[in-house]
Amino acid sequence: MNNNHSTFRKIYLYVCVLQEQAKTMERKDSLSLLCVLVCVWTQATYTQGSTQVPEDFTPEPIVLPHFTSCRSREQETFRCWWSTGSLANLSEPGALAVFFHQNNLMPIGWQECPDYTATVENECYFNKSFTHIWTSYCVQLRATSQNITYDEYCFTVENIVHPDPPVGLNWTLLNVSRSGINFDILVRWAPPPSADVQTGWMSLKYEVHYRVRNASHWDKLELESGSQQSIYGLQTDKEYEVRIRCKMSAFDNFGDFSESVFVQVAPIPTKVSVFPMALLLVFGVVGMLFLLVLIIFSQQQRLMVILLPPVPAPKIKGIDPELLKKGKMDQLNSLLSSQHMYNHDTYREDPWVEFIQLDLDDACEKNENSDTQRLLGLTRPGLKGDDDSGRASCYDPDFLPDTEGLLAAHSEMEERHPLVSESSPSTPSPELAETPFFPVQSQPVSQSWINMDFYAQVSDVTPAGAVVLSPGQQNDTPSKNPVDKTKKEEEEAGKEEEHEKKMKLQLLVVDPDRGYSHEVIARQVESSGAPFCSAPEIAYHTLPPEPAEEPHGWHGEYLAPDGEAQMAYFLPEAPPASMLPPVSDYTVVQEVDDQRSLLLNPSARQSPACPPNPIKHLPSMPAVPVGYLTPELLENLSP
Amino acid sequence: MKNTKVLQGCLGLLFCSIHGLLGSALDCPDRDAGGTRCSISVEKLLDRAIQHAELIYRVSEEARTLFEQMFIPFSFHAQQSHGGHLCTSNIFPIPTSKSEVQQISDKWLLHSVLILIQFWIDPLVELQASLDRYDNAPSDLLNKTKWMSTKLMNLEQGVLVLIRKMLEEGSLELHNNESVTPYLLPTDMVEHVLRDYAMLSCFKKDAHKMETFLKFLKCRQTNRPSCSIL
Repeated sequence: MNNNHSTFRKIYLYVCVLQEQAKTMERKDSLSLLCVLVCVWTQATYTQGSTQVPEDFTPEPIVLPHFTSCRSREQETFRCWWSTGSLANLSEPGALAVFFHQNNLMPIGWQECPDYTATVENECYFNKSFTHIWTSYCVQLRATSQNITYDEYCFTVENIVHPDPPVGLNWTLLNVSRSGINFDILVRWAPPPSADVQTGWMSLKYEVHYRVRNASHWDKLELESGSQQSIYGLQTDKEYEVRIRCKMSAFDNFGDFSESVFVQVAPIPTKVSVFPMALLLVFGVVGMLFLLVLIIFSQQQRLMVILLPPVPAPKIKGIDPELLKKGKMDQLNSLLSSQHMYNHDTYREDPWVEFIQLDLDDACEKNENSDTQRLLGLTRPGLKGDDDSGRASCYDPDFLPDTEGLLAAHSEMEERHPLVSESSPSTPSPELAETPFFPVQSQPVSQSWINMDFYAQVSDVTPAGAVVLSPGQQNDTPSKNPVDKTKKEEEEAGKEEEHEKKMKLQLLVVDPDRGYSHEVIARQVESSGAPFCSAPEIAYHTLPPEPAEEPHGWHGEYLAPDGEAQMAYFLPEAPPASMLPPVSDYTVVQEVDDQRSLLLNPSARQSPACPPNPIKHLPSMPAVPVGYLTPELLENLSP
Repeated sequence: MKNTKVLQGCLGLLFCSIHGLLGSALDCPDRDAGGTRCSISVEKLLDRAIQHAELIYRVSEEARTLFEQMFIPFSFHAQQSHGGHLCTSNIFPIPTSKSEVQQISDKWLLHSVLILIQFWIDPLVELQASLDRYDNAPSDLLNKTKWMSTKLMNLEQGVLVLIRKMLEEGSLELHNNESVTPYLLPTDMVEHVLRDYAMLSCFKKDAHKMETFLKFLKCRQTNRPSCSIL
């Protein structure tokens, strides 16, 4: 049993020894604890032998004497240290002994420690004569009095070499970066004096560590065999700590670190280079500002226009709104006439010119006029302001008494004037086609006309060759008088409204070639007046600029926006009874062809005063300057 | 095989270099008194030999570490230092301490180096063959062993030259012809992994010896007092 126990214990001792021989202390610590426990257990089971081991297994772990480490500094000597453990009686000096054994060619056997160091406790020193490399050693810790081996530790000397730290660590500045932020240093050292590197007995490798002072992490450089190394990329505003250690090449045991060396490089004051740059910058900025101010003040107006462009006011192309406001009709008319859009002044000048207003298309459902009716172009005051197409109902008695409404309606429809506005160019045509004769026509009046044949009498021929018609005398109705009166009223009303009106035109165009043609261009601004629709009353729009006289003493109503007569509304009868001279000649309207021209019977012409054939004989008038709008012109105008 | 071709190429290169070491008509910085043959100085020869030995030692350490990491469990690694038992004692007495080395003569040093080299040439070849049989031996390890055996042969040539030059002796033959392998290892180590590991460890140790001796020689050449006398 003893043998069993001893072998058992040996096994465990070997285990302990193995752990002792672990190369790193860290491993050893954890394993030594295990070893201790195991050894304790073996001790506990070991009944024979040492009386120093108590029979009872105390809960407190017993630590046996053991080697703590063996180290060599220069591969020429080495030392071993041990611990006495927790056993009290072994703490006495001399209670333990160290024996060693070399595996030489000539094995001598176990020898006791050649030198127990006097100054240090529990240390055994092996001097040069006892130190042999390339040979394995075993040391044993034995009790002096008993034959107990507490611990055994085997090694080879070169495996336990921990070189001394290098000496003479210093640094020199290699360079500083141009920005002054980084710098490089060269670190130099000398091998430890104890290590014999000259003879090649020890070949060392060095490891440099550095860190920012008081930082927690050390940076390592590569192993260096020489005696200097560079550290790159340090920062000038930080203080660095550098240290070094070494180990034998081909072995893993590092020695202790050397003393730390502190490195700090003051940042190079670069004010010299910064100063001119700052100055330059300041000057540059000041100069720029000065230039900017100069530019602003010199180009103030332009800048204002560029930066704050004037808000474009709504305006008609080619027409200055100022003109309209101020009422410079001449300029306006010239402008308009130049655009071939609108010529009305001729009408103004020829108050006695009268035109037949014709409604070519029967856009008015109610009004199932005959051609004669259309020829009459019964006008009626009052237009529906809300009817964009101009299809005011022909017989709307509501409008008749409402002069103001008419005026308002006219004003509303002002912009619908195809001559003056280029908007909705398509509208003029349908308007022209559809507009019934505008001013509201009183029903009874129209009816009276319906039943009658209507003849247009050529009252005059303008110098340009246009025919001026007047309704036939026999068609005078008793309503004429009231018409006359109303006409006068309307005239007055119209004059009153001169300043407020915009133009609404109805044009009657006489084309000698085609006969009568009329274009109803715009609704009329009519003063209220029921009898506008009286047969003889047709509102006309006079075109400028022919200052033809008014043989009949016509006077139309002028509804001028600004005091000047822009439009003249001529009642065909206007002064139908009184002002009309005895009409001597007239033509009979045969029909209205699809070209919106009246086909007249030239044979009916009788009046010598008014050349009856001016229609025929009149040359074609292509041009506007006469003041008449021809269908061709209107076609040009209306797209 | 490619490897052999590479080896042959390297060997060829090395032989050429050694031939240059020995003296070549093409490159001849030094001329002896006779002027008949171009020769390289002993210092340069010794430097090159030391370089060889240092390299071999470094590579042997790397190979051993590689092998240990790959194939040796940690428990055995701890046991390894329990012996230099793995490497049995030297064939002949070798100085083991600095003082002993200092006392030894140049001749003895050179002879020791040569014996060591010649001792290891064959076992390295065997080791190489053994490693080739492994399933998962890293190629790095294989390359290193091959390189070591090659370099060792070169070193042998160089040391022979050195012996001839420094000692003015003829070539030396290894007296002990018996197989070293059983002598090398304990007989109970039959497992080939452990055997190979032992071989690598022992070779590392002997390479260290070679390097140390050659350095001592050099030291003696340059600075006699401090090297030879303690």
